Amino acid sequence: MMAHWITFPVLLPLATGVLLIFMARASLDAKRAVSIISTLVSLPVMGVLVAQAMGGDYQVYALGNWQPPFGIVLVLDRLTAMLLMLSATLALPALLYGIRSDDKGGRNFHPLFHFQLMGLQGAFLTGDLFNLFVFFEITLIASYGLLMHGAGPDRTRASLHYVILNLVGSALFLIGVGTLYGVLGSLNMADLAVRIAAVPAGDAPIVHAAGLILLAVFGLKAAMLPLYFWLPSAYSSASPSVASLFAIMTKLGVYSILRVHGLLFGEQAGPLEDAVDRWLWPLAILTLVFGAIGVLGARTLKRVVSYLVIVSVGTLLAVIATDDADLLAGGLYYLIHSTFITAALFLLADIISAQRGETADDLVPSRPLVQPRLLGAVFFIGAISVTGLPPLSGFVSKAAMFVASAGAGYAPVLWAVILLAGLVTLVSMCRAGSTLFWNSTAEPPQGRGADKSKLVAALFLLIMSPVMSLWADPLLAYCGATAEQLTNSAGYIQAVLGDTGGME
Amino acid sequence: MEILFSVTVAVLVGTGIYLILRARTFPVVMGLMLLSYGVNLFLVAMGRLHSGLPAIIKEGVDYTDPLPQALVLTAIVIGFAMTSFITVLALRARGELGNDHVDGTKDREPGR
Amino acid sequence: MLLLFLVLLPFLGSLLSLWSAHQSRSVCTWLTAVAPAVGLVLLLSQGPAILAGELLTVHWRWIELLGLSLSFRLDGLSFMFALLVLAIGLLVILYGRYYLSGKDSHGRFFSLLLLFMGAMMGVVMSNNLLLLVVFWELTSLSSFLLIGFWGHRSDARQGARMALTVTGAGGLALLAGVMILGHIVGSFDLSMVLAAGDQIRAHALYPVALVLVLLGIFTKSAQFPFHFWLPHAMSAPTPVSAYLHSATMVKAGVFLLARLYPALSGTDLWFVIVSVVGLSTMTLGAVVALFKHDLKGLLAYSTISHLGLITLLFGLDTRLAVVAALFHIVNHATFKASLFMAAGIVDHETGTRDIRVLSGLRHYMPVTAALGLIAAAAMAGVPLMNGFLSTEMFLNESLQQNVLGNASWLIPVVAVFAKVFSVAYALRFIHSVFFGPRPGELPKKPHEPPFFMRAPVVILVVLCLAVGVLPALVVGPLLAAASASTTLAPLPEYTLALWHGFNRPLLMSATALILGVGVYAKRQVMFDLWNKLPPLSAPEVFENTLHHKLIRSARWVTRTLENGRPQSYLLLLFVFTISLAGIALWPLANLQGSRPLMPLDFPTVAVALTIIGAAFATVLLHHKRLVALLFLSVVGLGVALAFARFSAPDLVLTQLSVEVVSIVLLILILYLLPAHSPRDSSYARIGRHVAVATAGGVGLGLLTFAVLTRPFDSISSFFLEHSVSGGGGTNVVNVVLVDFRGFDTFGEITVLAIAAIGIYGLLDGMRLFDPKRRLLRNFSREKHSMLLSVLNMPLLPLALLISVYIFMRGHNLPGGGFIAGLITAIAFILQYLTNGLQWTNQRLSDNFHPLVAAGVLIAGLTAVASWFFGKPLLTSAHDHFHIPLIGDIELASAMAFDLGVYLTVVGATLLILQNLGKLKPLTGEQTEGGA
Repeated sequence: MMAHWITFPVLLPLATGVLLIFMARASLDAKRAVSIISTLVSLPVMGVLVAQAMGGDYQVYALGNWQPPFGIVLVLDRLTAMLLMLSATLALPALLYGIRSDDKGGRNFHPLFHFQLMGLQGAFLTGDLFNLFVFFEITLIASYGLLMHGAGPDRTRASLHYVILNLVGSALFLIGVGTLYGVLGSLNMADLAVRIAAVPAGDAPIVHAAGLILLAVFGLKAAMLPLYFWLPSAYSSASPSVASLFAIMTKLGVYSILRVHGLLFGEQAGPLEDAVDRWLWPLAILTLVFGAIGVLGARTLKRVVSYLVIVSVGTLLAVIATDDADLLAGGLYYLIHSTFITAALFLLADIISAQRGETADDLVPSRPLVQPRLLGAVFFIGAISVTGLPPLSGFVSKAAMFVASAGAGYAPVLWAVILLAGLVTLVSMCRAGSTLFWNSTAEPPQGRGADKSKLVAALFLLIMSPVMSLWADPLLAYCGATAEQLTNSAGYIQAVLGDTGGME
Repeated sequence: MEILFSVTVAVLVGTGIYLILRARTFPVVMGLMLLSYGVNLFLVAMGRLHSGLPAIIKEGVDYTDPLPQALVLTAIVIGFAMTSFITVLALRARGELGNDHVDGTKDREPGR
Repeated sequence: MLLLFLVLLPFLGSLLSLWSAHQSRSVCTWLTAVAPAVGLVLLLSQGPAILAGELLTVHWRWIELLGLSLSFRLDGLSFMFALLVLAIGLLVILYGRYYLSGKDSHGRFFSLLLLFMGAMMGVVMSNNLLLLVVFWELTSLSSFLLIGFWGHRSDARQGARMALTVTGAGGLALLAGVMILGHIVGSFDLSMVLAAGDQIRAHALYPVALVLVLLGIFTKSAQFPFHFWLPHAMSAPTPVSAYLHSATMVKAGVFLLARLYPALSGTDLWFVIVSVVGLSTMTLGAVVALFKHDLKGLLAYSTISHLGLITLLFGLDTRLAVVAALFHIVNHATFKASLFMAAGIVDHETGTRDIRVLSGLRHYMPVTAALGLIAAAAMAGVPLMNGFLSTEMFLNESLQQNVLGNASWLIPVVAVFAKVFSVAYALRFIHSVFFGPRPGELPKKPHEPPFFMRAPVVILVVLCLAVGVLPALVVGPLLAAASASTTLAPLPEYTLALWHGFNRPLLMSATALILGVGVYAKRQVMFDLWNKLPPLSAPEVFENTLHHKLIRSARWVTRTLENGRPQSYLLLLFVFTISLAGIALWPLANLQGSRPLMPLDFPTVAVALTIIGAAFATVLLHHKRLVALLFLSVVGLGVALAFARFSAPDLVLTQLSVEVVSIVLLILILYLLPAHSPRDSSYARIGRHVAVATAGGVGLGLLTFAVLTRPFDSISSFFLEHSVSGGGGTNVVNVVLVDFRGFDTFGEITVLAIAAIGIYGLLDGMRLFDPKRRLLRNFSREKHSMLLSVLNMPLLPLALLISVYIFMRGHNLPGGGFIAGLITAIAFILQYLTNGLQWTNQRLSDNFHPLVAAGVLIAGLTAVASWFFGKPLLTSAHDHFHIPLIGDIELASAMAFDLGVYLTVVGATLLILQNLGKLKPLTGEQTEGGA
């Protein structure tokens, strides 16, 4: 049975989703119970998987018992385990928050939520490029549903843009995969990596083109410049629980670049090595810059957070582009940190705006909050963390990245941009905070205090920051091991294809 | 033959892209369909072109490459799901926004 | 252990005072005072050891991997600063208890104050550079909260924001600098860094590190040109100013100068930058201070000036400069704290701080006046006061140094000039406020403050005098220890004494004093001059110019990029992808590969031309939507034919059935959307779009051709070999779908199911726009074409039969669950269209959720079943069966899987279409906006 654990991240949410569809006409409470239970169950499962991956050996699961490269394989390594754990941990508070309000907004919130998880986790697990496409589609179609959940003009408009763009993205994905198959004749990532090494010079440009098309696809998903413009409206208009869950969606794009391009265009790719990084670096830096500009210019708290998501994407892509294992370790730590903190801020922004009447989360003076002290303190902590000020995880990740890159050739650019982005974030959070909590009109506060469970959900995510900085050492160690494992694509290929190299 | 095929793909994709860039939802949907037609043809072609070959196992016959066909099948189905969604979404947008412009109502100031 | 406790105490205390927030004011104050008091005792208990030159350190691991450890040190320097932080902190707390009004929450105030105190303690006691940065930033953060304590006041908000922005920015620079230092030394451990001075100075990155670190220091210590935040931090409650701007916050900067002195100083770069910045800051502060009409404003600029003096001293290359600097740090802390408190008392008792209004207060508060007089004298450097001694040392050093080469003479000259002004503003502070005629109308009737509010001032002033008269006795040992641990070198000979005989420094002081008095006497002239200058206020520059301009431009950038128009996003997406792929393809040597081309034949050409023609027609006629839709369906059929031509029978069936359903869907939708698209894009835009579309099409066309003509070997041969043996089916495509790559299909039907419920959610409670009720009539009217329905009656079972057939043969011949499912669905749709919704619903369940779920479930169970045979997920098994009519077929477990597919397809399709049919148009009329 142990061998089958690896399929649970896909099957568990699937089963939950199906069950929930059966329960379409059942009471909301029943659905909530099922939903929560499944999310709770998934945590220990992910724990087992992390434990299995920790040792550093790959776990390869041949679906339908067809050996790779012919059948589809699921591959579990440290990175995948980490992301599975991350998604499961993120899902819990998001769902908890959703249960307190959002799931009343429309039909089928719960099944969609779990299908979303299924798509994410399947995408993290699969070792087959076309299968990755399929899981992308699952996440997308589920996210369409979730994004539209509860409707309202803003949401509808944002969803429309999001859907159209991503449908084009899917088409491009097919073109990319098709081209790779047409030239290399395989779909298994490891096998593709092997075959790329052997590709005749005459065909190299075609493979290169395919690689860049896929970069565009993943870039769209990850919200990389110039493909991020859909994100701010989408995330800031989505229902809070959905927005916080989406905090990991961009990371899926980042993961795909890290996995697919890292594997296919890694050191074994010969002439095509870093054919992609060459483009990724400037794009990432620009993403960071424009993300920061967006943070500075945003007029509502939710948009500030949305642009912070883009900043985090820029940082991660820049780290990946440097192709430096030590730096990547810090980057992976940062990935976890940024996912949790942005998710937390989305929930927090909603809690705050709920107490400000029609001003909502616009950064203008408004009636005072019902719980200014409490929310102020919480917001302050979140701001410190996201700005990268000590002693929280934001600072640790920044320090980790700097320590790793000190003296490197690319360091000046990277540091300058990251520090400036940090400063801009500081200024904006400063403005936001002083407007939201200090600059209030004379009228008395109205309405009730924040819902306990909602607060708990937000705090749960927020607590991760100090926890991550307290236990930074083991965490950084894991990230370091992960980075080291990632840079050794030969190991991955070996694990998936065995010694045959999969050519025949 | 290959040239003709490529031209066809080119036309489908080109027309698709053009319609996708229109300002109204319905043409965009049609454009997406054209695009997916083009892409599906492209995918099939990735197994190279064969005429008159079965994909059914018989004795002593040569076969087409079944894998791209399978991929296209999956792609078609997923495309169908997506098309239905965007179509209904377009309908909903019309209801919510009062028009079928992809920008929705344009009086709102962007950036907030 | 004790060291850690020293640092932690204030933090614990801050919790304590937060907890006691609801107690009475006094209780809260006493509880707050506990932490610093205990800390002070503990610290002093270490006094003898430290003064004897010992160095205490503790070390706990925190983040080994980053070299960030919880290690603290206590040596002369940190002892001296810790003393200031705790002692003055204690006095400020006492003072604050009386200063704050009943409205202010004491608990909150004191807990913030202690938080800040803890951060300061951390800064001065860290033995790890990274840890020092951590506490450094904490001081910025907590001071932000302190300065913004009266957040309801806009000046407080502004001041707080400014302070945090400037110091925060400096902190980032410092972080970078420290990182480089750590990189050079290979450790953040302070002891190692201090020991590695030569290595650091020799390193190529030394200038970068130095500049970055100095940026951090100068912003914190309000050095020119970063000084502007400090005066605006004066909007904080006076106790805060008294604390932050005398002993702590701003002193953190000069502390770091001292701390890193052995590691960074000693190069020309250091001397020039530090001395010049210090010099200019000192002068600027002194001059501006004279013209400030706000008591606290005056003190603020005087603080800037004195910090400049200290910085300048660290920048001098003489033997005693450092000693003088440290000495002046102590002195400044004492007299400046007392002056702030005095100013606070005046403010508190009279209700104003405007020097122009205040006058002759000595009649009302003689004691305060006397105290203020002494403190101000110390500030001005009058003999018998501590300020005099350190100033003397400073002037003496300014004559010894030679940091600016030939221009070195500037320093003493400018020093005297600055001192003249400091005498003048000190005089103004005293004379205009406490002396002169009795004041006119004041907001409050002035009188002496309560004893305990004055007590801290008394203590500090006594200190000023004590140090001033008996320096060697009072601060001698402390100063020696501090200096020794700062320079890490044997101290030069020096004597702390009131009287050094007649020498040049004394002369300079005397001139400065006399001239100062003169300047004050002639101040009116000065003010007139000053008022002629263009007014330049920091908030103007900072807030409006910098802040707002920046934000406005940021907004502009955002608006232009993220303009809410998907058209431009899509355009970007296409352009981006096309150009990337294009650039990649450019070096492609020969487009055509070695594979021989297939000959053309007429039917293919015909099909191709149909597709091409129809595609263009769709575009050209897209404004007439229905027509365009018809052409679109033609394209679809053409594609199906193309599949047929290139031996893909399964695709033909799939394409056809999907085509039918999609077109039906689109037609239904079209009823509810405008029948025409208005022509609202400019020709320029159309041109752009055509260009992009062409580029995209041609690009993919070339790619297709390039790939098509290249020879190729793929993994497919494996599928052909194992299809029958392993998959139990001769229709390889279907076997690939349900077996080899069953996981894809599994995902694919999940997508379908999700789409179904997603769309169901969309349709649920959807507000229809259409005032015309065509769709409704179409779906729900009961009288319908007899003929069609007559045809339809038998059609349904027939269709079902066909789909069963297609399904069964699927594994071996073209067909399979998906196609079968669609055929069934189509049959039902026909029922709807012809017989109407009600009619059909009476005969058919109207909830397809279970059907969809069942489909996915069956597929899933089939997949999982293989576990019980110890096989991985989706492993298939198969065996022979004989079924009449269909014949001898090989029934594979994969077929159960296919059944799941079938059910999902039927369920999903019907769920979507049926609910579409249920749509009710709005009764409320709406206008056709935009359409």
